[in-house]
Amino acid sequence: MTMSRRTTLGLFAGVAGMLAVPAAALADGPVYLGYQLPLTGNTAQYGQDFKTAAEIALKDFNASGKLKVPVEIIFEDSRSDAKEGVAIARKFVDDKRIVAALGDFTSTVSMAAAQVYQRAGMAQLSQTASHPDYAKISEWQFRNITTQAQEGVYNADWMTQNGLKKIAVIAEQTDWGQSVVKDFAEQVKANGGEVVFTEFFNRGLPDFRSIITKIERAKPDAIYTGFFYEDGAQFLKQMKQLNVETPVYSTSAAYNQKLVELAGPAAEGLFLTVTFLPNSESENVKTFVDEWKAARGGAEPGQFPAQAYDAVNIMLEAVARAYPDVSRQNVRDELAKTTDFPGVTGVTSFDENGEALKQLTKATVTDGQFVPVK
Amino acid sequence: MIDPYYLQQFTIGISLGMVYALMAIGFTLIFGVLNVVNFAHGEVYTIGAFAGIMAIAAFGPPFLVIVFIVLAVGALSGFSLERVAFRPFRRFSDEASLKSRAMREATLMSSLAMSIIAREAMELLFGSEFQTIDISYLINKPISLGPVTIVNGDIIIFLVSVLMLGGLQWLLKYSAIGLSIRAVSNNPLGAKYVGINTDRTIVLTFVIGSMMGALAGILVGLYYGAVFPSMGFIPGVKAFVAMVMGGLSSIPGAVIAALVLGVAESLSTTFMSSVWADMVAYLFLIVTLVFFPQGLFGARRERV
Repeated sequence: MTMSRRTTLGLFAGVAGMLAVPAAALADGPVYLGYQLPLTGNTAQYGQDFKTAAEIALKDFNASGKLKVPVEIIFEDSRSDAKEGVAIARKFVDDKRIVAALGDFTSTVSMAAAQVYQRAGMAQLSQTASHPDYAKISEWQFRNITTQAQEGVYNADWMTQNGLKKIAVIAEQTDWGQSVVKDFAEQVKANGGEVVFTEFFNRGLPDFRSIITKIERAKPDAIYTGFFYEDGAQFLKQMKQLNVETPVYSTSAAYNQKLVELAGPAAEGLFLTVTFLPNSESENVKTFVDEWKAARGGAEPGQFPAQAYDAVNIMLEAVARAYPDVSRQNVRDELAKTTDFPGVTGVTSFDENGEALKQLTKATVTDGQFVPVK
Repeated sequence: MIDPYYLQQFTIGISLGMVYALMAIGFTLIFGVLNVVNFAHGEVYTIGAFAGIMAIAAFGPPFLVIVFIVLAVGALSGFSLERVAFRPFRRFSDEASLKSRAMREATLMSSLAMSIIAREAMELLFGSEFQTIDISYLINKPISLGPVTIVNGDIIIFLVSVLMLGGLQWLLKYSAIGLSIRAVSNNPLGAKYVGINTDRTIVLTFVIGSMMGALAGILVGLYYGAVFPSMGFIPGVKAFVAMVMGGLSSIPGAVIAALVLGVAESLSTTFMSSVWADMVAYLFLIVTLVFFPQGLFGARRERV
């Protein structure tokens, strides 16, 4: 009988899994978590932010004494490359000490790695993967970000309320960008509006002027955008260059203080949804912001690091509840039980699919600050 | 009457093309002399941009001072690049080594290696994100000309390109340095035999080409307000396409090809998704290689 490579791999993973469970459960030493994230390459800034956030959360958790044994996080660099992401996932599931994984950054990489975690039976909690299908992959996938299914609908309703009927939509050409357009457009139609223009662009496009000119030909009341802050800054600056004054709405992905820094006055009046505002009054936000500022020479954290901070804390809480039986299965089950976790990105619960339910806030840029819209 | 929409798209295309041309000039100059691609040109461009914004952040000098700082940094990086990545492969000056393709093409790899090292080093030092630049230095103030809108940066980039192109043509045609550059480009061995210091000429070519690359970097950086370690990659690809289309070693050819490329990209966005607009460049490259293997302006084989 010949065994296919897949079966062999499957067997290996299975054996590794069987060995891993008792070994981890009996350990008196530290509990290990894996974190896959881009530490180099084009999206390195996000991964570096997650790492800092995770280190802050971990340090506080270990100091708090909630758990008798220390927790350690093993960071691996995926460079936002799906192949790397899968390789890291294999490495994590083969490492008997690791009980659960965090990451990755993009939906594409997270979903590729998810196949490995699903087969091996290890919980995966991504701080940012917001593609609708990610959490549906299996019971092992969780996320700590609102999806576009939630945000798109919310934004469409917001724009309808403001009397905007003809809307142009642009988004980056990624799994995530596709979901920005799809869920939003459906709700706009349901509200009686019209999407007059849809286009995708390659992430990192330096020049949006051709697209902006094209959008303006469609004469929309407003533009809804699915971009991250760097593309966002370019887009807004070039809108201003071309003297285009159509209002722009965006998702929480654009939310970053750096957007205002890069775009300057061009960012004024941008509307977007957020779940985290660093100038919030609540105690845990203040603590996080202070520690972040200390770690990063005074810079304010954006939404993504805040989500990573919460994701790590949610995971650590689950580990603490699972202790002393820190098996992969048990950590997953405890993770699924997370309800009303008081995070810096709002009170978070997981629904039956591992989907984070959070409160969204409407915000706008005024005088270089993100402020809530009343 | 032309639809103002197309007029605006055409204008955007020209300004995109000028950006590509700015980079293509230095790129083609170095290729013309050594007949090898300098893969690190994109990083010289990035270094120029970083030098410029660091000068701005440190003491906010007037625009012209920044230009001179960037030119100096560009010259230095061109000099070092030649020393590290190109000179070691010219150790032997006998005829066989000079004609050896392997020796020449080894510099493809060494310049690629330098480019990776430089880019990764900048990523480690500055992070891979966009650098914050003092907004008042950006050259993107809108200027309305009837139905179309341009920015002051378009005018600056246009003037600089014309100046570079004209200056370089004058240099190559009438100055002693230029004559020796052309001699080396035409026949390195022959140039050596008639007493031209080929090493010095090559170093000078690198210095001039890299000064132009660095200047292009800071201008485009301030034009878009986007300075980051991998910023040189896409313009590098576009400059390469322009160079091949222009006939590999014709600088005016590369500039014209860059403009054609910019306009084609901008206009094509009208008819297809911008995701495909990048493909236009590669389509042009393939069409040129299939139907005009000598490039559009490369029929005459005189280089540079």
